[in-house]
Amino acid sequence: MVSQSEKRVIGYFGFPRRSILRGIRERFGMDIELVDLDIDIGAPDTGILPATTCSIIRNIIDNSVNMKDKLAVVVAAVGEGKCDRGRHAAEILKRMGLEVTESRFPPEEFENRPLQYSTGRLPLAEKIDSIMRSIVDPSPPGEPPERCEPTHGFWGVPPNDARILEFFPDTTHIYGWTRCVEAGRPGDIDLECGIDNGVPTVYFTQSFCAKQDLAHYLAERSRGLLVDCHRDVNDSILAKIEAFIRLS
Amino acid sequence: MARIADCGSTWTKILDLESDLIEIIQTKELVKRADAFFEVATGHSGRIRCSKYKNELIALAEGGLRLVGEEDFSLMDVGGRDIKFVRFVGRKVDKLDWNLACGSTTGATVELLGGYYDIDFESLEPADKWINVTCGVFGMERVLEHISTGTTPEESVAMFLHGVVRNVYDFAGRPERLYLSGGFCDNHCFLRTIEKYCSVRALGRTVPLEGLKGEIT
Repeated sequence: MVSQSEKRVIGYFGFPRRSILRGIRERFGMDIELVDLDIDIGAPDTGILPATTCSIIRNIIDNSVNMKDKLAVVVAAVGEGKCDRGRHAAEILKRMGLEVTESRFPPEEFENRPLQYSTGRLPLAEKIDSIMRSIVDPSPPGEPPERCEPTHGFWGVPPNDARILEFFPDTTHIYGWTRCVEAGRPGDIDLECGIDNGVPTVYFTQSFCAKQDLAHYLAERSRGLLVDCHRDVNDSILAKIEAFIRLS
Repeated sequence: MARIADCGSTWTKILDLESDLIEIIQTKELVKRADAFFEVATGHSGRIRCSKYKNELIALAEGGLRLVGEEDFSLMDVGGRDIKFVRFVGRKVDKLDWNLACGSTTGATVELLGGYYDIDFESLEPADKWINVTCGVFGMERVLEHISTGTTPEESVAMFLHGVVRNVYDFAGRPERLYLSGGFCDNHCFLRTIEKYCSVRALGRTVPLEGLKGEIT
């Protein structure tokens, strides 16, 4: 059995409070590796969750269980900035014997950070990666991208399969939960629902994600394109996005 | 011999540009043909069988513009596997969508049900009631349930078709008039059912082929 002192990875999911992440790092050492458990890193399917589970939640469970011997702790965002299924995932991991620290990001701690990546000119995948890294390292970018006017929009969460981002031009602005992360305001539903009318926007969610309700509502009212994807993207989903971007 | 093709999931439409003849075959036959390679193609099964591939939704949109002269119109392609929709305002794309998962695979299911129960869609009477066709599989389960409890196969399949019609009408944003593309243009019961909701102009099965013609130099 691996002792707690030998475990050298901190897992986290969603956007935990910065003070909790900082405290955990001070407890285990500032040089300890942090792993975003939301991301597909090739962990085998544990079969713990139903097949109709959002891929992100499935990643959290599968990654955590498969890294169990290395994980010192899982820092779990379980408040309004995540979703009920995130809270359930945290509970399941606790019941399976993992150390879990729950985080609820309160509105009093909302920040107002500049939206340099959400409104900047850069490949969309790079912008989203940079935003997600700011959860762990909130220091301002050394060379922020040049601001641009939006030709297109991407609303939603970082997709499980990043190929979905390839068709978007560099002048795509980011909206939805990902923008909330850059602003340091997870769970700010006003910001999450904020869009630029007239900008052709793809509203993306994983299949079986509660955010589909918002995405559908916003897409219908802004003549946007609703896209959902379960696990890996297929040619038809890519073709749908390609057509929307080309014809809009 | 220059040929262009719309290679759908269940049916393939091939146009010989020299003779202007159109051949329609089942895609299960296409995959057996050694000469199944085209100048330009679209459709799920076309990507690996052509010199130049065109996105299906773009082919549909451009084909619609070639066939319809109106400034504002809605165009829907109901295929075996999916539903594609484009709305034009001032001959510019105003909205488009492509139903890939839930609610799709309904065209293929209609064919399966029709074949199994030997339904003649030319004479099939439209049903006033409908089955909620969340997807082909769920819809088929409801058809089997109705038949097992005494509804005739004809009426059950007509109710399924009515469910598909409601999906199509909602997906198109409930327009007053709809231009229809795809194999359902030949389904008399489908056309009579959708006319309960809006006026329909059937463009036939070759709208995407029209959209491919612009790619031929």
